[in-house]
Amino acid sequence: MALRVTLGILLTLVLCAGIGFPLSQNPQHWYELPVIPGLEEKARLIFFHVPTAWLSVVAFLTGMVFSIRYLRKRDPLDDLRSSAAAGLGLTYCILATLTGAIWAKFNWGSFWNWDPRETSIFVLLLIYGAYFSLRSAVENQEKRSTLSAAYSIIAAITVPFFIFVLPRITSGLHPGSKGDPDGAGPVLQFTMSPNMRVIFFASLAAFTLLFIWMFQLRVRTGKLEMERELQQAP
Amino acid sequence: MEFLGHYQLYIVMLIVVAIWLGIYWYLFRLDRRLRALERKQQG
Repeated sequence: MALRVTLGILLTLVLCAGIGFPLSQNPQHWYELPVIPGLEEKARLIFFHVPTAWLSVVAFLTGMVFSIRYLRKRDPLDDLRSSAAAGLGLTYCILATLTGAIWAKFNWGSFWNWDPRETSIFVLLLIYGAYFSLRSAVENQEKRSTLSAAYSIIAAITVPFFIFVLPRITSGLHPGSKGDPDGAGPVLQFTMSPNMRVIFFASLAAFTLLFIWMFQLRVRTGKLEMERELQQAP
Repeated sequence: MEFLGHYQLYIVMLIVVAIWLGIYWYLFRLDRRLRALERKQQG
């Protein structure tokens, strides 16, 4: 209950502050956000786009952990947890792509530019799309769980490369790319004022709580389905 | 129209908060229903 109430309040506050706090050339009050040259109002997207991208990484790595557990213990619940995490990861990955594309339209002129970061997230979407194709293609439950667990581990190994390495070693438009005047480093080094940082980290925490809640709901639903199937089996 | 032009940021904020509260309410109800089903399954 505490998790749900904290999440509800925190994300509502983050949305109000992230969208509603006014921008100012010379911030005088705690609620005024500084104007970042070249970004202006578009800078607000960082409070929502980065947490969704971050959570897709967390979800994919969670999926990998449960896949390893499945291969060691052969517990169907671990397979359920792994697929639930991968499903949420794919959802957050799509959200990060959409929010990024909208930002790109207003900052770079078009929704899609085949920037290294856009290309790497597109490849990730294909990799995890293939994961669900694989799951739906195999009918035997044990075989499906084993194959998808092995695939999930290999897929998750590519995630840090596509999210953290490739976009930083190649030149691109995205902040944090090689050749960026602010340096090829974490996007967090983006010129954020202390109040922007508070909103940003509160947003990361709120989105993480949302992921935990949605993950629990998905696993509990799957567990109930499994129990019902067991009861109905002859 | 002048009102919309003047307070567009707050209108966007209200719409986004309303969508979030809708999602929250949906998840909250789903959680309660799941708990009821789990109790039924155990009992």
